[in-house]
Amino acid sequence: MALRTAVLRHVRIPVQTLTLNGSKQQLWSLRFMSSHDDHITKAEVIERVLSVVKSFPKVDPAEVTPEVHFQKDLGLDSLDNVEIVMALEEEFKLEIPDKEADKIDSCNLAIEYISNHPMAS
Amino acid sequence: MSGAVSTAGYLARRAAQKERVRILYRRALKETLNWAVHRHLFYKDADDLRVRFEANKHVEDLDTIDRLIDVAEASYNKWRHPDPYIVPWAPGGSKFCRNPPPPAGIEILYNYGKEDND
Repeated sequence: MALRTAVLRHVRIPVQTLTLNGSKQQLWSLRFMSSHDDHITKAEVIERVLSVVKSFPKVDPAEVTPEVHFQKDLGLDSLDNVEIVMALEEEFKLEIPDKEADKIDSCNLAIEYISNHPMAS
Repeated sequence: MSGAVSTAGYLARRAAQKERVRILYRRALKETLNWAVHRHLFYKDADDLRVRFEANKHVEDLDTIDRLIDVAEASYNKWRHPDPYIVPWAPGGSKFCRNPPPPAGIEILYNYGKEDND
Protein backbone atom coordinates (compact mmCIF):
# COMPACT_ATOMS: atom_id res chain seq x y z
CA MET A 1 0.00 0.00 0.00
CA ALA A 2 2.79 2.37 0.88
CA LEU A 3 4.54 1.43 -2.34
CA ARG A 4 1.39 2.05 -4.29
CA THR A 5 0.94 5.55 -2.89
CA ALA A 6 4.62 6.27 -3.44
CA VAL A 7 4.35 5.24 -7.07
CA LEU A 8 1.11 7.09 -7.60
CA ARG A 9 2.61 10.23 -6.17
CA HIS A 10 5.19 10.25 -8.94
CA VAL A 11 2.88 9.46 -11.80
CA ARG A 12 1.41 12.47 -13.54
CA ILE A 13 -1.33 11.99 -16.09
CA PRO A 14 -2.57 15.10 -17.85
CA VAL A 15 -6.23 15.64 -17.24
CA GLN A 16 -8.13 15.58 -20.49
CA THR A 17 -11.78 15.15 -21.26
CA LEU A 18 -12.72 12.45 -23.69
CA THR A 19 -15.01 13.75 -26.33
CA LEU A 20 -16.39 11.52 -29.04
CA ASN A 21 -14.69 13.32 -31.88
CA GLY A 22 -11.40 14.50 -30.49
CA SER A 23 -10.56 11.57 -28.26
CA LYS A 24 -8.55 9.61 -30.77
CA GLN A 25 -5.96 12.28 -31.46
CA GLN A 26 -5.45 13.07 -27.78
CA LEU A 27 -5.04 9.49 -26.68
CA TRP A 28 -2.73 8.43 -29.46
CA SER A 29 -0.46 11.38 -29.12
CA LEU A 30 0.95 9.66 -26.05
CA ARG A 31 1.83 6.00 -26.53
CA PHE A 32 3.53 4.30 -23.63
CA MET A 33 6.34 1.80 -24.23
CA SER A 34 6.71 3.14 -27.74
CA SER A 35 9.88 4.63 -29.15
CA HIS A 36 8.08 6.19 -32.06
CA ASP A 37 6.51 9.25 -30.58
CA ASP A 38 9.18 11.02 -28.59
CA HIS A 39 9.87 13.69 -31.17
CA ILE A 40 12.28 16.46 -30.30
CA THR A 41 11.91 20.08 -31.21
CA LYS A 42 14.22 21.81 -33.64
CA ALA A 43 15.52 24.14 -30.93
CA GLU A 44 16.59 21.16 -28.88
CA VAL A 45 18.23 19.56 -31.92
CA ILE A 46 20.22 22.74 -32.57
CA GLU A 47 21.34 22.99 -28.96
CA ARG A 48 22.44 19.36 -28.74
CA VAL A 49 24.19 19.35 -32.13
CA LEU A 50 26.13 22.45 -31.14
CA SER A 51 27.11 20.98 -27.81
CA VAL A 52 28.39 17.83 -29.51
CA VAL A 53 30.43 19.84 -32.02
CA LYS A 54 31.77 22.13 -29.29
CA SER A 55 32.94 19.21 -27.20
CA PHE A 56 34.96 17.77 -30.08
CA PRO A 57 38.59 18.06 -28.92
CA LYS A 58 39.99 19.75 -32.03
CA VAL A 59 37.29 22.41 -32.21
CA ASP A 60 37.44 25.86 -30.66
CA PRO A 61 34.01 26.16 -28.95
CA ALA A 62 33.85 29.90 -29.61
CA GLU A 63 33.77 29.37 -33.37
CA VAL A 64 30.79 27.03 -33.42
CA THR A 65 27.54 28.44 -34.79
CA PRO A 66 24.56 26.68 -36.41
CA GLU A 67 25.83 27.61 -39.87
CA VAL A 68 29.40 26.47 -39.46
CA HIS A 69 31.00 24.14 -42.03
CA PHE A 70 33.15 21.46 -40.41
CA GLN A 71 36.05 21.42 -42.84
CA LYS A 72 36.01 24.94 -44.26
CA ASP A 73 35.32 26.92 -41.09
CA LEU A 74 36.57 24.75 -38.26
CA GLY A 75 39.74 23.51 -39.93
CA LEU A 76 38.96 19.82 -39.51
CA ASP A 77 39.80 17.10 -42.02
CA SER A 78 37.51 14.49 -43.55
CA LEU A 79 38.22 11.87 -40.88
CA ASP A 80 37.32 14.37 -38.14
CA ASN A 81 34.10 14.93 -40.05
CA VAL A 82 33.39 11.20 -39.90
CA GLU A 83 34.04 11.22 -36.15
CA ILE A 84 31.68 14.15 -35.57
CA VAL A 85 28.90 12.48 -37.53
CA MET A 86 29.38 9.32 -35.50
CA ALA A 87 29.24 11.33 -32.28
CA LEU A 88 25.98 12.88 -33.48
CA GLU A 89 24.60 9.44 -34.26
CA GLU A 90 25.35 8.33 -30.73
CA GLU A 91 23.91 11.50 -29.22
CA PHE A 92 20.59 11.12 -31.04
CA LYS A 93 20.51 7.28 -31.03
CA LEU A 94 20.43 7.18 -34.80
CA GLU A 95 21.77 4.86 -37.42
CA ILE A 96 22.52 6.89 -40.53
CA PRO A 97 23.31 4.97 -43.73
CA ASP A 98 26.95 5.37 -44.79
CA LYS A 99 26.23 7.25 -48.00
CA GLU A 100 24.00 9.78 -46.26
CA ALA A 101 26.33 10.21 -43.33
CA ASP A 102 29.08 10.95 -45.82
CA LYS A 103 27.11 13.92 -47.16
CA ILE A 104 26.71 15.60 -43.76
CA ASP A 105 29.52 18.13 -43.68
CA SER A 106 28.13 21.15 -41.85
CA CYS A 107 26.13 21.99 -38.73
CA ASN A 108 23.29 23.19 -40.91
CA LEU A 109 22.94 19.89 -42.75
CA ALA A 110 23.27 17.89 -39.55
CA ILE A 111 20.53 19.88 -37.84
CA GLU A 112 18.30 19.57 -40.90
CA TYR A 113 18.84 15.82 -41.19
CA ILE A 114 18.34 15.06 -37.51
CA SER A 115 15.29 17.24 -36.99
CA ASN A 116 13.62 15.60 -40.01
CA HIS A 117 14.50 12.09 -38.84
CA PRO A 118 11.48 10.34 -37.31
CA MET A 119 13.59 8.26 -34.91
CA ALA A 120 15.80 11.00 -33.48
CA SER A 121 15.52 11.16 -29.72
CA MET B 1 42.32 18.68 -74.50
CA SER B 2 43.67 15.33 -73.44
CA GLY B 3 45.34 17.10 -70.55
CA ALA B 4 41.98 18.43 -69.38
CA VAL B 5 40.40 14.97 -69.76
CA SER B 6 43.15 13.29 -67.80
CA THR B 7 42.94 15.95 -65.09
CA ALA B 8 39.19 15.42 -64.84
CA GLY B 9 39.75 11.66 -64.74
CA TYR B 10 42.39 12.08 -62.06
CA LEU B 11 40.06 14.24 -59.95
CA ALA B 12 37.15 11.84 -60.36
CA ARG B 13 39.27 8.87 -59.35
CA ARG B 14 40.68 10.85 -56.45
CA ALA B 15 37.17 11.81 -55.25
CA ALA B 16 36.05 8.18 -55.45
CA GLN B 17 39.07 7.13 -53.41
CA LYS B 18 38.41 9.79 -50.80
CA GLU B 19 34.83 8.63 -50.44
CA ARG B 20 35.95 5.02 -50.11
CA VAL B 21 38.38 6.01 -47.37
CA ARG B 22 35.77 8.04 -45.47
CA ILE B 23 33.24 5.20 -45.53
CA LEU B 24 35.89 2.67 -44.62
CA TYR B 25 36.99 4.83 -41.70
CA ARG B 26 33.39 5.18 -40.56
CA ARG B 27 32.77 1.44 -40.67
CA ALA B 28 36.07 0.65 -39.03
CA LEU B 29 35.34 3.14 -36.25
CA LYS B 30 31.98 1.48 -35.59
CA GLU B 31 33.67 -1.90 -35.62
CA THR B 32 36.14 -0.61 -33.05
CA LEU B 33 33.25 0.43 -30.84
CA ASN B 34 31.72 -3.03 -31.25
CA TRP B 35 34.90 -4.74 -30.13
CA ALA B 36 35.60 -2.41 -27.23
CA VAL B 37 33.92 -3.61 -24.06
CA HIS B 38 34.29 -0.29 -22.25
CA ARG B 39 34.37 3.26 -23.44
CA HIS B 40 37.87 3.98 -22.16
CA LEU B 41 39.17 1.02 -24.21
CA PHE B 42 37.42 2.40 -27.28
CA TYR B 43 39.21 5.75 -27.04
CA LYS B 44 42.62 4.13 -27.25
CA ASP B 45 41.58 1.78 -30.06
CA ALA B 46 40.07 4.67 -31.99
CA ASP B 47 43.31 6.63 -31.64
CA ASP B 48 45.25 3.64 -32.95
CA LEU B 49 42.88 3.34 -35.89
CA ARG B 50 43.30 7.01 -36.66
CA VAL B 51 47.07 6.65 -36.58
CA ARG B 52 46.86 3.76 -39.05
CA PHE B 53 44.85 5.95 -41.42
CA GLU B 54 47.12 8.97 -40.94
CA ALA B 55 50.21 6.89 -41.71
CA ASN B 56 49.36 6.86 -45.43
CA LYS B 57 47.95 10.36 -45.56
CA HIS B 58 50.56 11.72 -47.98
CA VAL B 59 50.65 8.89 -50.51
CA GLU B 60 50.20 10.43 -53.96
CA ASP B 61 50.30 7.53 -56.43
CA LEU B 62 46.77 6.48 -57.43
CA ASP B 63 47.48 2.79 -57.88
CA THR B 64 49.29 2.61 -54.56
CA ILE B 65 46.29 4.27 -52.88
CA ASP B 66 43.92 1.77 -54.49
CA ARG B 67 46.06 -1.10 -53.27
CA LEU B 68 46.25 0.34 -49.76
CA ILE B 69 42.46 0.75 -49.64
CA ASP B 70 41.98 -2.83 -50.84
CA VAL B 71 44.30 -4.10 -48.13
CA ALA B 72 42.50 -2.02 -45.50
CA GLU B 73 39.07 -3.23 -46.63
CA ALA B 74 40.26 -6.82 -46.53
CA SER B 75 41.53 -6.29 -43.00
CA TYR B 76 38.21 -4.66 -42.04
CA ASN B 77 36.26 -7.60 -43.45
CA LYS B 78 38.47 -10.03 -41.61
CA TRP B 79 37.77 -8.35 -38.25
CA ARG B 80 34.03 -7.86 -38.55
CA HIS B 81 32.25 -8.33 -35.25
CA PRO B 82 29.86 -11.33 -35.20
CA ASP B 83 27.29 -9.54 -33.03
CA PRO B 84 27.54 -5.82 -33.71
CA TYR B 85 25.60 -3.14 -31.84
CA ILE B 86 22.44 -2.19 -33.72
CA VAL B 87 20.35 0.82 -32.76
CA PRO B 88 17.14 -0.62 -31.22
CA TRP B 89 14.67 0.65 -33.83
CA ALA B 90 16.81 -0.35 -36.84
CA PRO B 91 16.31 -3.67 -38.67
CA GLY B 92 17.92 -6.33 -36.51
CA GLY B 93 17.66 -4.16 -33.40
CA SER B 94 15.90 -5.27 -30.24
CA LYS B 95 12.89 -2.95 -30.72
CA PHE B 96 12.53 -3.36 -34.46
CA CYS B 97 8.79 -3.50 -35.32
CA ARG B 98 7.84 -3.60 -31.62
CA ASN B 99 4.68 -1.66 -30.84
CA PRO B 100 4.33 -0.08 -34.26
CA PRO B 101 1.88 2.78 -34.70
CA PRO B 102 -1.60 1.52 -35.62
CA PRO B 103 -2.53 1.81 -39.29
CA ALA B 104 -4.39 4.90 -40.42
CA GLY B 105 -8.13 4.56 -40.50
CA ILE B 106 -8.34 2.32 -37.43
CA GLU B 107 -10.05 3.87 -34.43
CA ILE B 108 -11.26 2.71 -31.05
CA LEU B 109 -14.94 3.02 -30.15
CA TYR B 110 -14.95 3.76 -26.45
CA ASN B 111 -18.71 3.52 -26.09
CA TYR B 112 -19.07 0.31 -28.06
CA GLY B 113 -22.38 -1.40 -27.20
CA LYS B 114 -23.65 1.64 -25.31
CA GLU B 115 -24.38 3.85 -28.26
CA ASP B 116 -28.14 3.54 -27.86
CA ASN B 117 -28.12 4.48 -24.19
CA ASP B 118 -26.57 7.88 -24.79
